[in-house]
Amino acid sequence: MVSKKQKSTRLKVLLTKSVDEVRARSLWVLNYFNSCGFIELLPWVGSGYDMERFGIKAVGSPRHADVLFIAGYITRKAVKRVKRLYNQMPSPRYVIALGSCPMTGGMYWDSYSTIKKIDKYIPVDIWILGCPPKPENIGHGLVMLMKKIKSGFKGH
Amino acid sequence: MKEIISFIKSKFKGSTIKTEGKSILIIAKKEKFYNILALLKEKGFDHLSDVTCIDYIKEKEFEVLYHLWSHKKKLRGQVKVRIPRGSPSIKSVVGIWPGAQFHERENHELFGVKFLGNPNLSPLFLEDWKEIPPLRKDFNTREFVKREYYEKD
Repeated sequence: MVSKKQKSTRLKVLLTKSVDEVRARSLWVLNYFNSCGFIELLPWVGSGYDMERFGIKAVGSPRHADVLFIAGYITRKAVKRVKRLYNQMPSPRYVIALGSCPMTGGMYWDSYSTIKKIDKYIPVDIWILGCPPKPENIGHGLVMLMKKIKSGFKGH
Repeated sequence: MKEIISFIKSKFKGSTIKTEGKSILIIAKKEKFYNILALLKEKGFDHLSDVTCIDYIKEKEFEVLYHLWSHKKKLRGQVKVRIPRGSPSIKSVVGIWPGAQFHERENHELFGVKFLGNPNLSPLFLEDWKEIPPLRKDFNTREFVKREYYEKD
């Protein structure tokens, strides 16, 4: 016999699991791209790789977004806007950094105007390497994030 | 083209004029450059492509360059002016080409050159900039980057 309490805990676990599952399969993405990174994401937007079959969709407002996609050089001026976008997103929120530019400053590692490490300003969950990364790598990163969410990850 | 050169030569005897192909280079003095530019506008140089600066730190001078283009005559013109580095200020050419406003604003921000008569010289690209203008030769980029981005936590 299963007691009433056991039943309710089982139901709770099942519910949270299914919520995580649903959340992982309906990621809404806000793009913050200012250079070549978006060229490599375009196959995912179009029918070539088609990110909608994973339930991923680009949205126009940070209020609707689950994932913030950052690619390209972030300048001192732009990082304030990135922070603001991140703060406008509802929780749970995830950040994916694309390419070597937001990680190290890339080619402009000694430039006065670009920031060097984006994770000093906002927490980053997935780093996708490359300059710029291939569409396959982006897909790999997205699937990694989906797996992470399915296992109960709620973002930073 | 020849008539323009001879006209300028007759008008401004103190300035050097060089020509190469379809471009004219005029090295002007600070007192006369505005009149030269106004005259060039009258003579058909209707487009100001760019205003740039060069920092000659050893000679303690800034060089301000005006790149001109004539749509009618298909001629390129350059005017160079040297100004002292200690108190860099020069007359604005907004009165001749209104489009110069943004070029001058940019140069004011990145080199610290004051353009007298420009209605708006507020910062364009940089925010909260407390150092000396970043494109000056005595601005130590490496040191600044190390301090601002790599060591800051």
